[in-house]
Amino acid sequence: MLRKEQNDLLTQTGPGTAMGQLFRSYWIPALLAEELPENECPPVRVKLLSERLLAFRDSNGRYGLIDEFCAHRGVSLWFGRNEECGLRCPYHGWKYDVSGQCIDVPSEPEESGFSRKIKLTSYPLVERGGVLWTCMGDPDKQPPLPEWEFITVPPPQTFTSKRLQESNWLQAMEGGIDSSHVPFLHRGDLNSDPLFKDNKGNQYTLGDSRPVFEVVESPGGLYIAARRNAEGGHYYWRITQWVMPSFTMIPPRGNHPVHGHFWIPSDDDNCWAWSFDYHPIRELAQAELAAMREGKGIHVRYVPGTYRAFANKDNDYLMDRAAQKAGRTFSGVEGIGMQDASLQESMGPIVDRTKENLVSTDNGIIMARHRLLRAVKALVDKGVPPPGVDPTHQKVRSAAIVLPPDQPFKDGARDALIARPAVAPTSV
Amino acid sequence: MFSESARMSSAAEARFRVQAPNSMPRATTVIALDVPSEGVVRRLAETRWNHATFLTAPAGDAHGTDPPVGGWLVDLAGHRMPLQDEVNVADHVIMIAAAGGGAQAASTIGRACSLKRVTTTALVVGTASASEEDLSATLAQVRPWALMVVIANNDEYIADMMTALRV
Repeated sequence: MLRKEQNDLLTQTGPGTAMGQLFRSYWIPALLAEELPENECPPVRVKLLSERLLAFRDSNGRYGLIDEFCAHRGVSLWFGRNEECGLRCPYHGWKYDVSGQCIDVPSEPEESGFSRKIKLTSYPLVERGGVLWTCMGDPDKQPPLPEWEFITVPPPQTFTSKRLQESNWLQAMEGGIDSSHVPFLHRGDLNSDPLFKDNKGNQYTLGDSRPVFEVVESPGGLYIAARRNAEGGHYYWRITQWVMPSFTMIPPRGNHPVHGHFWIPSDDDNCWAWSFDYHPIRELAQAELAAMREGKGIHVRYVPGTYRAFANKDNDYLMDRAAQKAGRTFSGVEGIGMQDASLQESMGPIVDRTKENLVSTDNGIIMARHRLLRAVKALVDKGVPPPGVDPTHQKVRSAAIVLPPDQPFKDGARDALIARPAVAPTSV
Repeated sequence: MFSESARMSSAAEARFRVQAPNSMPRATTVIALDVPSEGVVRRLAETRWNHATFLTAPAGDAHGTDPPVGGWLVDLAGHRMPLQDEVNVADHVIMIAAAGGGAQAASTIGRACSLKRVTTTALVVGTASASEEDLSATLAQVRPWALMVVIANNDEYIADMMTALRV
């Protein structure tokens, strides 16, 4: 349970809000690089942290992320012409460069210098690992560029997708650190999904439906570990990483790629669910890439031409009661990504946490909220940079490991929880 | 034409959600397992809670092997309380242990909870100044008896957790 004012604080991320200030301390994923595939390609509308923005790539390949609307009469620059190192409004020809600086106002004499007095809000847009990243906070406090392992491995080793989720970011993110739902909601997929099946870890997961949990604070967020019984009195541990504010990394299974998410607020009622799969030491197989593009694993199949899931609230998520009854899916919704999203969207745009009844196994969620609230307070009151900004906090991995019963997972998996180039992930 | 899912998850529909209470109070027993964590429990007890009882396990040898609990606990006024009676009326038992503090009582309390199928949570505090050996020793004592183990860097978390659990 959260008090209403705490729920409001954590779920509101627009300009001028405390949580918005926190999100603006980080580099966050804004677009896939594929959305701006070439110089002078069409601009793309993107709403982030409740700000309507426009991304474009100019004639010289520079990326820009600017206020969507022309400073003249408020026309959307999505209609603009991307030409000769700038975006020109089709209404009266005002033209802007990637920094949002107006560089031409045809109705005014060039010598008047009028255009120099017009500048749209803009944010940096930087490509790393096939993702375009932005930092929407104070430029003087901009942190180093992101160092997540999935964007630093060679391109053939990584795949990233995104989808619109029609719910607040927090309830989506909390699903990412809620390990106890997996043996229920995703039960039908562990042994059938091509990106999850055929590994020893699934036997442990499905063989022990009452795991016990441990939550430990990490430098950037939390380790959330689920412990199940293995052979010989040993324990099978699955350790999820959460790095503030909204990075989650799911423990690996066998030699499958490792996967995880970012949950980025679009506005307070919608978020972008970013999903990545990568392997630290090998290229992704063609079959794996094909499965990801087809929406297997944590990815989804799209409505063509969009980043909206094909199974969505407008078609009741293609609910299949026969599959539910037969046990092929636990909820009747197909695919791990939409199984999560359908339930999280069903809570409503922003779930009322004053009415929830958490239990002991929800301590990962409780601790994440606690850390977010503490970080927001420290940032707003004292200007303390939040955990997760430091690139060393980003060099993390999830892990799946079997350990003796008397060994703390934090010690037994110490090396496994750190991203090291050319070192295989620790997986079972 | 909206689907049912689209219509029912809209903000407009949220105002039709039933507002009646959807849960009964749960009885929670908070137990300090060692001397260092007793101070934490006393501070927690100063706050107003819905349905919480605050107890301590009798101090044994903090670093020794003497079993500190012989089937009874002690309330904050110093009165002995039968362990089984406390477990019988609890929905949830929270055990608080300081890293290296000597949490031998966890096994006795945990066993009693296990017999009655009472949920247990163990919180290990004082980890910032503790050695890894001390932390490991305490984890080894509480881990077999807790459904959830939390290692918190600060004591504030315990009150936040209890609030979140509607204690």
